[in-house]
Formats: sequence, structure tokens, C-alpha cells
Amino acid sequence: MTTATLAPAAITASGVTRSFGDVKAVVDATLTVPQGTVTALIGPNGCGKTTLMLMLAGLLRPDGGTISVAGHSPTHDAAAVRNAIGWMPDQLGSWDNLTCLQTLTLMGRAYREKKEFSRQRGIGLLQLVHLSEFADRPTRVLSRGQKQRLSLARALIHDPQVLLLDEPANGLDPRSRVELRQLVRELAAGGKTILVSSHVLSELDEMVDGAVFMSKGSTLGEGADAMVADAKTRYRVESLDAEALRAALTGYGQPIEEAEGGLVVRVADEPQAAALLAALVRDGVPVHRFGPAGSALEQTYMLMNEERR
Amino acid sequence: MTIETTLPPATPERPATPASGTVHGNPWHPTFRGVALATWIELLRRRPSTKGYIVYGITLAAIIGLGVLAAVNAGPNKNSIAFELVLVLILGAGMLIGPSLSATSINGDSSEGVLAPLQMTRLSAGDLTFGKLLASWLVCLAALLTTTPLLAYAYTRSGWHLGEAAAVIGMILFVVLAFTAVGLAWSSIAARAVASVSLTHLTTGVFVLGTLLLFAFTQPLVAESVTVTNRYYDWSQATPEEQADPNFDYSTLPCVDQEETWEVFHTEKTAWLLLLNPVVVVAEASPIVNPETYEEDGRAAPGMFAQIHQGVSGARLGPNPIAYDECAMNAGGEDPWAERQKEEALLKPNPWLGLGVAGAMLLGSLWIVVRRLRVPYKRLRSGTRVA
Repeated sequence: MTTATLAPAAITASGVTRSFGDVKAVVDATLTVPQGTVTALIGPNGCGKTTLMLMLAGLLRPDGGTISVAGHSPTHDAAAVRNAIGWMPDQLGSWDNLTCLQTLTLMGRAYREKKEFSRQRGIGLLQLVHLSEFADRPTRVLSRGQKQRLSLARALIHDPQVLLLDEPANGLDPRSRVELRQLVRELAAGGKTILVSSHVLSELDEMVDGAVFMSKGSTLGEGADAMVADAKTRYRVESLDAEALRAALTGYGQPIEEAEGGLVVRVADEPQAAALLAALVRDGVPVHRFGPAGSALEQTYMLMNEERR
Repeated sequence: MTIETTLPPATPERPATPASGTVHGNPWHPTFRGVALATWIELLRRRPSTKGYIVYGITLAAIIGLGVLAAVNAGPNKNSIAFELVLVLILGAGMLIGPSLSATSINGDSSEGVLAPLQMTRLSAGDLTFGKLLASWLVCLAALLTTTPLLAYAYTRSGWHLGEAAAVIGMILFVVLAFTAVGLAWSSIAARAVASVSLTHLTTGVFVLGTLLLFAFTQPLVAESVTVTNRYYDWSQATPEEQADPNFDYSTLPCVDQEETWEVFHTEKTAWLLLLNPVVVVAEASPIVNPETYEEDGRAAPGMFAQIHQGVSGARLGPNPIAYDECAMNAGGEDPWAERQKEEALLKPNPWLGLGVAGAMLLGSLWIVVRRLRVPYKRLRSGTRVA
């Protein structure tokens, strides 16, 4: 989770605040998303993720702090910021009596692309999100997950440099989730910068290069990063003979934690994990399970001792 | 399980002149292309379903039938009332349809989640504002086209000149545009469609009925007592035989004075209320019909609009406490009451105040809507989210 140092930042925000009347939705948000990477925005319901995304998208004016997206400031060049962003909102909406292809073509034209160009690009995008068979059907016939995919296609219609995806996996079936993950990785490999918020943390683990945790309107900086790094060192070992396992690990001088059905140990990296497993097998401990102790993001999230609003 | 995800394979070459281009600042002003596209999107979204087209067809057939029926049964004389009724019908329908459509087009889009994605595009706040206004107004124009057969027939018998008819229809469309803009403004202010639709119709109601009620209720405030001296022949001087004789020449009787106190209303101070009424605006915009010479002028007899004009003119001229002078009239003097009627009928009409206020409402509404549609938002409609 430390690719940050090399690539230039496509999104930066520092000390961003925003209130709605008495409600302080975002208190202090600071984050950096390097170009060509995928960053997760993680936090409980109502912690200000969507508000922060709206401010990054140039739809909502921050009360304070500075934001820069694709080299533009929403304060001075809001139109340029919006133009650089593909935004997939958390609210699903579509023009229900227009067809999928019409929707994408019109959106493309709204970005001042030529009609035929937009149409061709729309056809390509519908293929990409597997909605080609719905190209000429009105969007009202789409299911929730299909609308979600159309929304993703709509966000990509003008080939934006930066993508803001608000809960993109909501309502998607498992296969579509896997496809979404692969698509997001491909887009990042193609140089796009992606900020994605999601609740499905195990999925994010495999998709993102970095994570920003939010709680009560504030981003948690270094602390959360350390927690993620720490969570990645946790390995869970289960044995048919729990006592033998405990004795062996104690013998290696490994500090151990009790866990449901097994023990959790810390290993610095993958070679060390391999060495530990080899040692256990050599010493005749009947190990039947050995692996990372679950999603690092999920562990961090649970450790954050979150409030829920 | 094989899963294919590849970036759009069929992406064509971007045109040589990059359409997106660069953009600076946060422009709000409308562009021709932007307004055209925003209008087109709105019209596509509001395009009637098959059932809608059937209803529309039936309405059109009924109106044509009505026109044919009226043509068959019409007498030989010119008559402007039919034409005036069609004009009022267009005004009424326009002021119902246009504002109803526009009053849901911003907060409705917002709650459906289709407003913000458009605000994210290169369409400016001005593009969206003018697009939504034009789309709602064009639907009214379609309704006007439906009435064309009836309108054309009624026109041929109305005694109006073509230029006059075109001007009045233009003014009707302008008034409808203004009230449609008001609906759009309410839609950008109120969070819920129910609220904006009610407020819009309330605004229309204030102008159509409220102005009349206010005019009536403010009359006591402008009341004044005046005393006039009437003159009569003194019938008490006639003998019973003379009174019974139908051929008795009463001008031989002496004249007597009689004082009378009236309450008059200085409506010239409140007549501007009437001039704000959209129906009055249309009536005031219609041609003057001289009640004495209309036949030589090639006009129909004074119709509904002429009566409205006369009534409004009466209010504009204010009270006219005329003393009744039987003796003078009998001696061949002018009848002051008839003079007054003629003065009212021929008073220079004034549709400009109403049109001016409509124009101000149009500009004010557009200003509000553009401000409310500009992103980044400073404030949100209370109780709403961005979308």
C-alpha cells in the first residue's frame, strides 16, 4: 500500500470540511490518490464518504480545505474538474423511457463529443459491461445490478482520467463483482486514477493499491495505514492437535494470539510464512490450515472501533 | 469460469478536432448547442407513450370535428367571440400545461437521480435551464398546433387582421413562457414535486383570480362620497288631467334641482391590478372595436374582449359622477352616459404593464434557476441529497 511515492497525485485533498446546517458531514478529510492507482475509501454508513466524493467531483463546494483533481482546482476550474472525472453516483438513476444506447449517446454528446463517435463508444461500453442485448431496450427494464453497470458505462463515456465510484458493487451479482474488479484493475493499468468506496471489504482487498479510512467525517491517516500493514502480517494457523501447535510455536519464540479454532501468529513477509509452515510440518505438527487471517481492510475496519450512525 | 473484460474494443478514432477541448473557470452561460441538446433530452424523456399519442389523436379529431360543426352552423355575420374563446382556451391550456411540466422538471430529475450526472457534463447551468424551459414550452406549442384548425376557422370570421391575430398569439405564447419559467423556478427551490406544483399553480391563480379579488376587495379603500345635482321636470306641477294624457308635452313643466350623494370608487388607483391579469393582457392586446362604426370598419360586433377592455378602461378612467339632467337631454343635449361608454370602448389599450411584469418574472425565474443549477453547490435544497 505504498505506491504513493512514485506516481504524481491525481487527486489530493487536504483539510477539507463541509457541514449541512448543524450537521458536520466532513470534518477533516485529507487524502492523496496517485495517478494510475486504485484507492479505497472505507468507512461506516454516514461517515461522510459520499459527501467527500461529491466535493472531489466538483458538485459540492467545501467549506474549507483544498482539493486538486487532475491538476485543476474545483474552486477555480470547476468545469475542468468535472470534465476530467467519471462519476458513478450511489443513487441509481436513469432516463427510464430512453434506451441504454440512447442514454450513453446523449451523455457523450453532453460532453461535446460528436454524435456518431458517442454512439460507437456507447456500443463498445455496453459490450464492456455486458449490456449489449439491452442496447435498444428502455432502461426501465434493467434490474438493479444492470442499472449499476449502465451507470458505470455512463461514467466512462467521455474517457475520463479520474474515476470516482461510489459503492459500485452494490447490487451486483458475484460474477459481475469479479468483472468489476478486473475492469477496475484494467482501467488503472491504462493510467486512470480510481477512488472507490465500498462496503464489501474483502473484495476491495484484491482491487486496491491503497485505502483511506474515514470515521465521523475525518480521514484516518498514518494510523490506519499502520493498522493495515500490521493486519497483513497476521497469519492464522489451525492444527488437528492444538496443544502440539501451541507448544511448537512457543518453542520457536513466536508470540501467539488465540483465535476461533486456531492461533494467530505474526510473520514479517511471505518467505517467513513459508519458513514457519515448513518448520511446523518438519516438527510433525498436523497443520490443516495456514494462511492470512482474513481481509486486512476488514480487520482494520473492525479494529477501528467504529461508531455507526 | 472465464471472464472477459477488455476495454472498449470498438472505440472509434476520436475526431480530429477534440470535441471536449479544454475549459476554464465554471461557465454558466447557455450555448446554442448545449441548449439544443438539453431541450432534445427533455423532449425525448417527455415524449408521449403510445397511449398518449392515441389520446392526442382523439383530442385533435374532436377539435377538428368541433370546427367543422361550428362552420356548418355558422350564420352569415362576422363574430369574434369564437376566435376569442379559442385564444382564451390556448392561454388557459398553456398556463396549465407548461408550468405543470416545468414545475417537476428539476426536483423531479433530482429525486430520480438523473440531474447530477448531467450537471457533471459540459452542459452548463444555462444550457439545462433554457433546455428545460424550452422543452416544456414546446409541448404547449404542440397543444396550440392541435387547435390550429379551429383557430384558423374562427379567425376567418372574426374580423381581425392577420397581424393582430399573430401579435396576440405571440403575446399568449410569451405569457405562457413566463409562467412556465416560474414553474421551473419553483421546481429549483422546492425539494418536493408536490410543493413546487402547488406553488406554481398558486402563482398562476394569484394572477388569474387573485388580481380580480384584490381589485374588488380594495374598492372600499379608494371610496369617496360625491354630491351631484340632478335636474328633473317637476311633475308635481302637472294637473291630474295632464298626467293622464299620453300626449302631454312635459317640457312645458318647470325644472327642479335635486341633490344626490353617491359613493364612488377611485379605481384609477387600483386598475393596474386588472392589467396584470393574463386574460386582461390578451384582451388589451386585441384590436379595438368601435361600437358605432364596426360594420364600416369590417369588424365583428364588440365581443368578449371588447367588453373586458371596456370594463378595464372604466376602472382605469375612474369614477365619473354624472349628474342626470332630464331637461338638457330633452333639449337635444348629448347623453353623457353614452359619451362615457364610447370613451371607455376607445381608450388606448395597455397590455404593456402585464407583459412587462411577465417579462420581469421570466428573467427573475431564469436567474434563480441558473443560480440553483450551478455546481459546485453552496447550499442544497433542504431535505435533499445531491443526485
